[in-house]
Amino acid sequence: MLGLLLPFAAALAAAGDEPRVAPDPTAVSPGVELWDAVRERQPFDAGQVRTQPPGGERGVLINVGGEAWRQFRMQELIPVAARVLGGVAIAILLFRLLRGKIPIRAGRSGEKIRRFSGFQRLVHWTVAVLFVLLALSGLVMLFGRYFIIPWLGSEFGGALTYWLKRIHDFSGPVFGVALLVMIITFMKGNFPALYDLKWVFKAGGMLGGHAPAGRYNAGEKGWYWLAAGVGMVVVVSGLVLDFPNLGGFDRDAMAWYHRLHSIGAVAIMAVSMGHIYMGTVAMEGAFECMATGYCDSNWAREHHDRWYAAITDEKSPSDTATGLVEPAPEPSAATRQQAG
Amino acid sequence: MARMKFYCDAERCIECNACVTACKNENEVPMGVNRRRVVTIRDGEPGERSLSVACMHCSDAPCQAVCPVDCFITTPDGVVLHNKDTCIGCGYCFYACPFGAPQFPLDGQFSTRGKMDKCTFCNGGPETADNSPDEIRKYGRNRLAEGKLPLCAEMCSTKALLAGDAGVIADIYRKRVVNRGANAYLASGSLQKGAFEALQTPPQPE
Repeated sequence: MLGLLLPFAAALAAAGDEPRVAPDPTAVSPGVELWDAVRERQPFDAGQVRTQPPGGERGVLINVGGEAWRQFRMQELIPVAARVLGGVAIAILLFRLLRGKIPIRAGRSGEKIRRFSGFQRLVHWTVAVLFVLLALSGLVMLFGRYFIIPWLGSEFGGALTYWLKRIHDFSGPVFGVALLVMIITFMKGNFPALYDLKWVFKAGGMLGGHAPAGRYNAGEKGWYWLAAGVGMVVVVSGLVLDFPNLGGFDRDAMAWYHRLHSIGAVAIMAVSMGHIYMGTVAMEGAFECMATGYCDSNWAREHHDRWYAAITDEKSPSDTATGLVEPAPEPSAATRQQAG
Repeated sequence: MARMKFYCDAERCIECNACVTACKNENEVPMGVNRRRVVTIRDGEPGERSLSVACMHCSDAPCQAVCPVDCFITTPDGVVLHNKDTCIGCGYCFYACPFGAPQFPLDGQFSTRGKMDKCTFCNGGPETADNSPDEIRKYGRNRLAEGKLPLCAEMCSTKALLAGDAGVIADIYRKRVVNRGANAYLASGSLQKGAFEALQTPPQPE
């Protein structure tokens, strides 16, 4: 019996002599490194990553940027956009209640001055119609879950949003082209001048007093450059989001372009509400400019004095020929001569 | 009610991709979509590990939070399902998801994003009629309705991929961890330590 046990005892003794690593309860679990690599935390060394399914980011185990984008959309974009757009709407309503409709003080002269060419109006209205479509469909994608879906139900509301999204996708590139043409067509007259500062200080005449303006006032010029600058940012970022199938941008890049797209779009929508209000119901004689291409001479004198002075003083046959100043129909032309 | 969970044991997954194949076959997923994928990190190095990933059916699902049409539902079993009739294919869930689960088959002549497709925990869609032809066409098989678990986990050869009620999964995994921890503690230099790189130098004898 002893003989049987002795070899084991010897073996145990021998094992005891070998340098053994002592158990260490404070040892860090090796799993930590695995999950650091998975979560792309520091230290991050995932070595060579491989996966079978094809496609750009199939090898990414955790999309670390996703949560940041979720926070942006849900905690920042939606509440801020609601406040900005709602605030502008309330401001316009208050302005209307306080100031009412802005009349032509001298009354209509009946004399018409050519303000926009047919091509300019075509470009403006193309951009305008596409803009309204894009803005409405975009707003539904932004806020729809809070009113479209509870109101119409997910079956109909979903289908409606689907078609609005399709409209958004397809009118976006067309809008980009139309916007480019509009930027070129309306560039003349939109470069800032010194008297624009005066207009800005007088808040465009909102505080009373006269604010000077050329062919376009400083507010319109600001709107033009905002539409041109921010508009192109929105168009380009929108094109990135529009063609995920081309695979040129990864998930994080698309989320960043979405941030640009949505912030720019909300900014433009907020300012556009002011533009649409001023151009339609706010001011007597404003809408007919873009509707018919002609404005009343008294309207021009009151709101675009520098432009009015320029075209009436330098009225020459060449100007008339290019359509900058166009003699209006006979009776009003007669009125003008009598007045002059 | 159960709280359904997936768990993939990195110490057991052998990257055989059978879960990927089984899922594609069982659910007849659209072209170009893999509801499940196996990712190997440190491929070919000491410490190589593989994980099988699909939708993890989050309690606070980011996809559900950001959806513009609110088309996701969480079933009483804790499975996150989404409605393909309501889905607009905007891709927001794809931006927000931590696991890369939402995928989009290319749709139409302009190859835009189609309706989103993701793992359903083999629970079909939100339709009330389980395993109706419509549900199978859109979402695949509803195995949960038949009293079965997701096929990927059921047929996993090493039982690396576990699916089922969170409590049961946690118990199984806890036992494994305790066993491995005991091994590591007793031997100090276990398969786990030796494999994923020992972080500490052995204490020097005094």
